[in-house]
Amino acid sequence: MKAFITLLYRQIKRFMRAKSRVIGAFVNPLLWLVFFGLGWSKVFNFPMAKQIFGGSDYLSFLAPGIVSMAIFSSSFISGISVLWDKEFGFLKEILVAPCSRKEAIMGRIVGDSLTSVLQGAIILLMTFTIAHSLKISGIPYVILLGFILAGSFVSVGVILALKMTSMEGFQMIMSFLMLPLLFLSGAFYPIDTMPAWMQALSRINPLTYAVDGSRYFLLGTSKFAITTDIGILLLLTFLFAGVAVYMFERTTID
Amino acid sequence: MDIISVKNLVKKFEDVTAVDNISFTVKKGEIFAFLGPNGAGKTTTIHILTTLLKPTEGTAIVAGHDVREDSAEIRKRIGIVFQDSSLDRELTAYENMYIHGKIYNVDGRDLRKRIEDLLKFVELGKFKNKVVKNFSGGMIRRLEIARALLHRPEILFLDEPTLGLDPQTRAHIWEYIKNMKEEHEMTIFLTTHYMDEAEQLAERIGIIDHGKIIAEGSPEELKKRIGKDVIYLRFSDKTENCMETELVKNCKILPDGRMELGVENAAEALPRIFEAAMKKGQKIMEVSYHSPTLNDVFLYLTGRAIREERGNKLDVMKNRRKRWGR
Repeated sequence: MKAFITLLYRQIKRFMRAKSRVIGAFVNPLLWLVFFGLGWSKVFNFPMAKQIFGGSDYLSFLAPGIVSMAIFSSSFISGISVLWDKEFGFLKEILVAPCSRKEAIMGRIVGDSLTSVLQGAIILLMTFTIAHSLKISGIPYVILLGFILAGSFVSVGVILALKMTSMEGFQMIMSFLMLPLLFLSGAFYPIDTMPAWMQALSRINPLTYAVDGSRYFLLGTSKFAITTDIGILLLLTFLFAGVAVYMFERTTID
Repeated sequence: MDIISVKNLVKKFEDVTAVDNISFTVKKGEIFAFLGPNGAGKTTTIHILTTLLKPTEGTAIVAGHDVREDSAEIRKRIGIVFQDSSLDRELTAYENMYIHGKIYNVDGRDLRKRIEDLLKFVELGKFKNKVVKNFSGGMIRRLEIARALLHRPEILFLDEPTLGLDPQTRAHIWEYIKNMKEEHEMTIFLTTHYMDEAEQLAERIGIIDHGKIIAEGSPEELKKRIGKDVIYLRFSDKTENCMETELVKNCKILPDGRMELGVENAAEALPRIFEAAMKKGQKIMEVSYHSPTLNDVFLYLTGRAIREERGNKLDVMKNRRKRWGR
């Protein structure tokens, strides 16, 4: 357990020290919610609009999406920051230590997931001031779901970072992976109105199930059954975390 | 007792043979240095001995365990200071030490006391709560040394411990290394391409070039190979033949055209050498002599100075360090 707790401690320490990262993590989703959300909410102000968004106003429809987005981006980025550990050498300190690598990387994944969920939870509370038909009772469930979501994307980030051989790949992943995943998640517009091929893609996007599940807990409506959302997310988290552990145990320098 | 024993070790990376069939031993409690130019295979050897890389062929026993089989046992017993920093730059000196202690199973009050003592030892006590990214190169190296000592390793590996540091800081680090050996009776394995460093610190030196150990011994033994004094002569006409005169222990034509002579005593030998040259009708243009340094030994063995960095090979090694695999 020692390596697990130590790495968890390290991730949280690092998070608390990186003030600009913390602020950035809040500002970005809030900009989306306020400017994107408020802007479109006036466009969708006609009588039929509520039908498109599953019975709620656009801001309330968007809010769960923004919370998932905040957790998704911060967890993905913190997972990929294993790349920085490679570059600045700290990874070597772990690789040469007589501790269990499985525990070390799990400590990292859980630590990063916790900080990501913390950011998501704060965004969630803020959305209540602007979106009015959200259920307060849904908060703890959304946070738990967010934790599962974070676990899966921290793991994906770790996997990519271990695969990557240079820092150059980082920007590419950011634009070719993160944005499409967001647009295909149903966070900004309902999946049902997408073209068929986009719908097909969004069904294989893990983020879709987090957004949908959060809507279930905050609005009471969702596209998929809540058990499907949670089941798929859990499955993916175990799968990705498993792959991340497997790869980390075999990491060497060459 | 041999604490490190390496036999016929080979490491190949795709097209390059970085370590080419080397064998050597390190005795418990001694300071052993690998001296050689960049790209000679020093870092690769350290990575194998510290279980970060698997050897292609051969065996290496470190602290009684085989690097292929018992990496976990070896890791408990060694400390490493890598060539590039492996500290967490976002954390403080204390936090870096604390994390290291925890993953090496040092705990509680014992851990806190050791951290305080070691930070004092490397004179970083005042900086213990400062974030590492603001540290100078010398402070980073000192902190790395302190951290590597935290779990009281039997063997300490230092990869180019004073690379890129100013002369004063280097002298300082040498002091720590000497004190460390005395206070903790530790075995130290270091690599360097600085002659003065090897000479200052090492009790035994392995000279390594192109992945091969080309000479091994104490600094004195190595220097004795050329003689007590080294004479350099430049003739007006290029000579192909070495001078065979009594008192000359060995003789070699260097690539730059000079003749290198190893003698017992230059003051006695020089008149004889002049005489011999006159007899042959050779005109001497330039004479110099000095007591041999390790650089002369390297020059004698390889025909070039250790500082001449050969671009290609160096680049290969640099790229390799940047390239990470699974």
